[in-house]
Amino acid sequence: MATTDEGIRDSERSGAYVSAVRWMENLSDPQFAYLLLTPVLLLLGLIAFWPLLSTFRMSLFADNLVGSAALGEFVGLENYVALLTGERDALLVRPFLDPSTPFRSALTVTLIFTLFSVFFETVVGFAQALVLDQDFRGRRWVRVAIIIPWAVPIVIQGMIFFLLFQPNIGFLVDPLQNWGIFSATPLSNPVDSMIILIVADVWKTSAFMALIILAGLQSVDRSLYDVGRVAGASKYQQFKMITLPLVLPSVLVAMLFRTIGAMRIYGLIETVVGCNTVPSLSCLVVTTFRGSRMYGTSAAVAFITAGLIGLVVSVYIVKYADTETGA
Amino acid sequence: MATESDSSQGAFSRWVDSAIESPEKVYRAMFYVVMLFFLFTTLFPFYWLLVLALTPNEAITSFGFPPVPNGFNPEAFVNVFTTVPFHVYMFNSFVLGIATTAVVLVLASLAGYVFGRLDFPGKGPLMLLILAVSYFPPAAFIIPLFRLFTGNISLLGVSSPNLFNTPFSMVLPFSALFMPLSIFILSTFYGQIPDGLEDAARIEGTTRLGALFRVIMPLSAPGVATAGVLTFISVYNEFFFSFLMTSGEANNWAPIVWGILSYQGQYTQLYNLMAAASIVGVLPVAILVVVAQEKIVSGLTAGALKE
Amino acid sequence: MGKVILEDVTKRYADVTAVDKMNLEIEDGEFVTLVGPSGCGKSTTLETIAGLTIPTDGKITIADREVTNLPPKDRGIAMVFQNIALFPHMDVYDNISFGLRLRDYPKEEIDRRVDRASDIVQLEGMLDRMPDEMSGGQRQRVAIARAIVREPEVFLMDEPLANLDAKLRVHMRTELQRLHKELDTTIIYVTHDQAEAMTMSDRIAVIDGGELQQIAPPLVCYNEPANLFVAGFIGSPSMNFVEGEVTSTGLSTPNFDVEFDPGQLSGVAEGDHLTLGVRPEDVYLRQGSEGVANPTQSIPARTDVLEPMGDEIFVYLLTGDAAEPSMEADPETSKNQLLMSVSPDSDIEAEQDVEVVLDRERVHLFDTETGDAISHTLEFPATEAGAAETETEAEGDD
Repeated sequence: MATTDEGIRDSERSGAYVSAVRWMENLSDPQFAYLLLTPVLLLLGLIAFWPLLSTFRMSLFADNLVGSAALGEFVGLENYVALLTGERDALLVRPFLDPSTPFRSALTVTLIFTLFSVFFETVVGFAQALVLDQDFRGRRWVRVAIIIPWAVPIVIQGMIFFLLFQPNIGFLVDPLQNWGIFSATPLSNPVDSMIILIVADVWKTSAFMALIILAGLQSVDRSLYDVGRVAGASKYQQFKMITLPLVLPSVLVAMLFRTIGAMRIYGLIETVVGCNTVPSLSCLVVTTFRGSRMYGTSAAVAFITAGLIGLVVSVYIVKYADTETGA
Repeated sequence: MATESDSSQGAFSRWVDSAIESPEKVYRAMFYVVMLFFLFTTLFPFYWLLVLALTPNEAITSFGFPPVPNGFNPEAFVNVFTTVPFHVYMFNSFVLGIATTAVVLVLASLAGYVFGRLDFPGKGPLMLLILAVSYFPPAAFIIPLFRLFTGNISLLGVSSPNLFNTPFSMVLPFSALFMPLSIFILSTFYGQIPDGLEDAARIEGTTRLGALFRVIMPLSAPGVATAGVLTFISVYNEFFFSFLMTSGEANNWAPIVWGILSYQGQYTQLYNLMAAASIVGVLPVAILVVVAQEKIVSGLTAGALKE
Repeated sequence: MGKVILEDVTKRYADVTAVDKMNLEIEDGEFVTLVGPSGCGKSTTLETIAGLTIPTDGKITIADREVTNLPPKDRGIAMVFQNIALFPHMDVYDNISFGLRLRDYPKEEIDRRVDRASDIVQLEGMLDRMPDEMSGGQRQRVAIARAIVREPEVFLMDEPLANLDAKLRVHMRTELQRLHKELDTTIIYVTHDQAEAMTMSDRIAVIDGGELQQIAPPLVCYNEPANLFVAGFIGSPSMNFVEGEVTSTGLSTPNFDVEFDPGQLSGVAEGDHLTLGVRPEDVYLRQGSEGVANPTQSIPARTDVLEPMGDEIFVYLLTGDAAEPSMEADPETSKNQLLMSVSPDSDIEAEQDVEVVLDRERVHLFDTETGDAISHTLEFPATEAGAAETETEAEGDD
C-alpha cells in the first residue's frame, strides 16, 4: 500500500531523471565530492589557473610589435633578465627597476607603497580595534563609521582623494605647500602622489585590519587580565605582556592580507593620479599590454608580481608559524 | 559618563585632581579623544564630498578650513544623472553584483557542502588551491583573459566568443575571484549542521542535493547572507576587471567605475558633479553596511582567521 | 509485506569493518531490537537498511524488493533519530508533512494524514509550534509523527529515547509499544540499553564487533545466551563468570568446585577450560535455599559490600581462602568476587562469613576460549545417574 503509493508518485517523473538521481545517490563520498566540485573547478580553471599558466607561457616569448601575431619567437627567460637588468626600461612607459628613481620605477614604487601603507594601516587598525574593544554607548554606530570606508568602491575612494588634493579647489594643498610639505601640484609630483595614495589606502583599509585585530582581542580570555591585575601589572604592562603577544597572530594574518592587497594596487592610482605619475607593477602590466601591445614583457611583469606576492605569503607563513610555536 | 558630567561642570582643575587619584579617568578621556579622532578621519572625506556637491560649480574655489558649502545647489544630484547616464552605470553595477552573487552562492554552496560535510582524499590541498586563487594579483590573469574575451583565443579552429562589453566578461572573473571566500564561509556554516538533519531529510524523501537546498541552506541562512553581502560589496567595489573588460559606455554594461571616471575624463571641471556622483555611488553600500554590519564583521573575520 | 532480510551485509571502512557478514531475517510486523555496546556496528547496520550507508557487500531486501542500492527515499522506510532531528526552521505541521509535500501529495490527503498521526502521538493543537518551543518529549512525538505519516513498510529507530530523561524514557517505552500494537508495522530499533531491548522487543539481535551474536526473543537471550558476550551483556547486574578446568567430577575453579558428569556434555573432555556463569539471582544463601530443588554444594564466602536497591539487595561476595576485600569491583575480572541478589528482608550484613549455593538448573557453562555456550543447566534430564550422584554428594556435605 504505502510503497505502491509512493512508487506511483515516483514513476510520474521521467525515467531519465530517476536514473540520474539514482546514479548520483549511489556515488561514494569522494565521487560525489568531485562531482559537486566540477563546476567550481571548471570556472576556476578557466578564469584563474589557465590564465596563470598562459601568462607564464607568454612571458617566455618575445614581444611582437609588428604584424598581427601577439607573440614573437620563444626566448626563454630573456624577458625576465631584460626587465631585472634594466635593459627593457627604454621600451617601457616607466622603468621596471631603476634604483636611481625609486618613485618612478614599478618595483620600487610598489614596495614603497606596500611597506608604508601596511605599516600605517597596522598602527591605525590596531588603535581602532582597541577603541572598538571598549564598551560604550553608540559603539555600534562608531563601528559602522569605521567600516564604511572599507565598503567604499575603489573608484570613489580615488575620487575623494583626487578632490581633496586638487590644487584649484582643495583646502589642503595651500597650507601643505606653505609648510613646505607638498609641491604646488601634488597630483603630478611622484612623491606627493605616493603620500596621498598611502593616506587614501590607510583611510579605506584600516577598518579591515581593525576588524580582524578586534576579533583577536575579543578572543583573549578576560580572566588573564584579572591575573595580570592581581600580579600588579599596570594597564600598559597588561597590554604589552598579555594583549600584544596574544593578538600577534591575528595581527600577522591581517598584515598578510593587506600586503597582498597593497602589492596589487592599481585602481586607486588610476583614479587619483594616473599610472604615469605612480607606476605600480599592476600599472606596468596594463600599460605595457594595452598601450604598447608588448605581451611578452607584460606577462613577465605580471608573473613577477605574482611571484613576489607568493614570496611575501611564504615569509608571513613562516613568521606566523614562529609566533604559534613560540607562544 | 562620569567624565562627561565632570567636565561639563567646567571644573578643569578639579578634574585634574581626580584624574591623578584615579588613572581610570585619564584612560577614559584618552579613549574618547581617540574615538572622536577616528570618527572625524573616517567621516570627514564624506563631508568634503557633500560640501563640494552642494556648492555651485562656479563657486568652487579654494576652500578654507573647515570647509563649508559655498552656496546651496541640490540640483547637482539631479544633474549627475543627466550629464552622463549615471543611473545606467549604477544599474549595470547592480546587475553585475546580483548576477555574480547568484553564481557564487550556488557554486560555493556545492563546494561548501563538499568541504564542510564530506571526507575525501585530497580535501585539504584542494581547499588550499581554491583559496590561493583569491590571493593572486588580477594582473596575472588579465592578459590571457582579455584575449579570451575579445575572441583572440582559438581552440581547434573555433575562436572564443567575444564577451568584451558583455556582463559575462566581468561576472566570470568576479565569480572566480570572490568565490573562495564564500566557499570558506559556507563550508564553516554547512559543517555545523548536525548529520541527523541531513539524514532525516534524505529518509523523508530528498536526494543529497535536495537536502542541501531544502534543509542545510535554509538553516545556514545567516552564513548564506554573509557570503552574499560580502560578494555583492566586493563586486560593487571592484576596479580592475570592471575597468578593463568594457570600453566604458553605459550601454556596454560598464559599471560605476566608468560612471565616475567619465566625469574625470570628459567633464574635468565639474567638481560638484564628481562629488555628487560619488555620494550617490556610495549610498547603496553605506546602507548595506548599516543594515548588515554584523554579517560583514563576522564574514571578514571568519575569512581571515581561518589559518 | 514489511519483511526485512539482510544477507551477508558487510560495511568496511578504510581501517575498520563496522559490520561483518550480517544475516538477519525480520518478519512483517515484528519489533526487533539491535542491541550492543557503542561502536558495535548496530547503528551502521540500521544505516545500511535506511540507505544512508551503502554496504560494501551483501544484499538487503525490504518488502520483497531488493533495495541494496536504492536511495533512502525509495525504500519505503521512515526513521526516528537519536538527536530527534526536527527541522528547526519549520513548524510542527511542516515537519510532519515534509515527506508528503516532497512527494506532491494533495493537500487534503496531507491534512488527513497529519491529523491522524498527530492524534496517535497526542500532539493535537501544537501543529503551529516551532520545535524550539517544545519539550524534549513533545519533540520526540513530532519525530515519531513524521515517521508515521508516511505509512512506511518499516520503521527504523536509532536510539530514539537516548536523549530523554529517565522518567520520560520509561513512559515513551510504553508509548512505543502501544504504537507498535496500533500500527502493526515492522519496527527495527537500535539501542545500547539492554533493559530497553528486553522490555519492548519481540526479538533481540545482540551485536558485538560488527557480528551478530544471537537473535532470539528477550527471555531466550536471557535464559539461554548463545555465548559469553550475550550472557554478560543481557541482564543487569551482569552475570557472574568464574573460569575453571574440567575434572572427572565436574568443574574445578580456584576457590570452589561444582560437580557434574562431564561425560554428559558432548565435546567436553577432562582438562578443558570452561567458564561458569550464574546470574546474581541464582546465587542463594545456604540457609533459605530450601526453594532450590538442586543446589550445588555450599561455597564458603565473606560478604563485602551491600547495595540495597529497595526491592532486593545486591551482595558482593568474596570467595576463597584469602577473602580479602578487593577494590576490583568488576565481577568479570575479579576471580574472587561473586554477586548475589537477596530479598530485602534478609538480615545479611557486610563482612560476615556466609555459605552460598548456586541453582544447578540455572548454571551456564561456556567454552572459555571460543565463548560459545555449552550448557544452560547442570541438571541433565536424560541420565539419572549423574544427577543422583551429585545429590548424594550434596547431602553428604550437609
